[in-house]
Amino acid sequence: MSAPTPTPTAEPLDTYTLNMGPQHPSTHGVLRLVLTLRGEKLVHVDPVIGYGHRGHEKMAENRTYAQFLPNNSRQDYLAGVIYNFAWCEAVEKLGQIPVPERALVARVILAEFNRLASHLMWIGAFLLDLGGWTPQLYTWDDREAILFLLESVTGSRLTYCTGRFGGLSRDLDPDFPRRAREVLKKLKDRWQEYEDLVETNVIFIERSRGIGVFSREQCQSYGVTGPSLRAVGVPYDIRKVEPYGAYPRFQFDIPTRTEGDAFARYWVRVQEMKQSVRIIEQALEQLPDGPIIHEKGLGSKKRLKLPVGTQYYAVESPRGQYGIVIVSEGGTEPYRAKFRTPSYANLALLPDVLPGYMMADIVAVLGSIDVIIPEIDR
Amino acid sequence: MAAPAELALLLEQRGWTAQPPTEHPMSGVSESRWIAPAHLVAAAEAAKAAGYFYESLTCVDRLDPHGAFELVITFARWDAPARVAYRVWTPKDAPVPSLAGVFGIAEWNEREAWELFGVGFSGHPKLRWLLLPDDTEFRPLLKSFTAPPPSNYDDSLTAPAAPQDERTDSHTHG
Repeated sequence: MSAPTPTPTAEPLDTYTLNMGPQHPSTHGVLRLVLTLRGEKLVHVDPVIGYGHRGHEKMAENRTYAQFLPNNSRQDYLAGVIYNFAWCEAVEKLGQIPVPERALVARVILAEFNRLASHLMWIGAFLLDLGGWTPQLYTWDDREAILFLLESVTGSRLTYCTGRFGGLSRDLDPDFPRRAREVLKKLKDRWQEYEDLVETNVIFIERSRGIGVFSREQCQSYGVTGPSLRAVGVPYDIRKVEPYGAYPRFQFDIPTRTEGDAFARYWVRVQEMKQSVRIIEQALEQLPDGPIIHEKGLGSKKRLKLPVGTQYYAVESPRGQYGIVIVSEGGTEPYRAKFRTPSYANLALLPDVLPGYMMADIVAVLGSIDVIIPEIDR
Repeated sequence: MAAPAELALLLEQRGWTAQPPTEHPMSGVSESRWIAPAHLVAAAEAAKAAGYFYESLTCVDRLDPHGAFELVITFARWDAPARVAYRVWTPKDAPVPSLAGVFGIAEWNEREAWELFGVGFSGHPKLRWLLLPDDTEFRPLLKSFTAPPPSNYDDSLTAPAAPQDERTDSHTHG
């Protein structure tokens, strides 16, 4: 958290300062934006973050690799499965811990369901930001079906901790594929309804087209990733660029658009959900039998020691690239852990993008990049 | 767009690399090079020109026993599994050249390294607190930092202890 910078304008008498947040319904968490406005027009934006800083990186240094497992899903509470698996995979990579085939495919299934739940939640919240109340009733209903399914495997609804070094803590039950296919069918029946409800809505189009346009240069300068980058026309997705786990064996496309505005970011996410469904369908077909956790996994070796070295490991979260840096000195605890979270870069860009837009557009732009404040603050 | 090996070769040809101060392997990256702090900005500009984006900054406390910090800056590219790590070794109290003029996100990453470790960055627009409250006087990610100091905002650490409840006491002992 930090004091706002002085207003950078030559005529300070015709501008004023307005605090948006830290408690504001459309900042999606505790975020404060110090706005300098001339009338309704934005002159300067200074994001003030850190209200949710819990010191995850310090915590990692004070506990064993296994003890840190519950922390990752609490960084991004909408992508808990993906973050939890990312920590497991980073440790497995550095420790060269093998993972059985069944666990690799099961991780993809659970992670993609998590991505769907995150995007559904986002669509509901984004449209609510723009004044559309009804869509969230549909998306939350669909998300609930996914959470129910994930809960039956992991025991959690939000902060998942089912990953273990070398596999998963629990196996998918024999009935899981049937229930999963039912959820997928429900989702696929919804796509047309979403399109009719949203994409032809004049108010939505007027409020999102040409709003919050990112350029390729800005994205490179700030390290923007995820749907926000793909809406600019860059097909960068860690699942394709640096394939991990079982992803290389599945067919899927990377939807992109070139406008780089809030509407393009919406469109990319909706298309991505269809691709996630495609991945899950293939994974359910190919789900092999066998153990869910390797015998060298955590079950048999609680005091895991990793070799000396620095490991970078990245996965694709619903918001972009989630990178984990583990610095090991050979002990049972990380010497240093660093979390490169996608919302950090995506939010840092806003002071470059927002000036010139109207005050009400902030809500549209902030909503469209899908910020999760706890992963920024860590 | 230059492949990681080409970029690494360029760094070496220009004489921007430095001798490794420690033996500490790096994995998950295509190339990693130690960069002399004096040439860091030029090396980052070369990465930018080659199509890389600034991905992450990791500061590592090597004060005990080296009396220095290690900075690991990773750059990646959109079109291929290409990640290049620049590693910078900087003695305590010696500022590192800021990359905020080259990559926008460096401004936040450097503020974070400054507030959590106390690493200085020369040429940074303004080093101010990012995640911690303003005027925080400690550097929580240093290995020497162990316990939170009493806070101005929270008097629970200095408040007198609450009177003992006898029932709770007997329950614990019983």
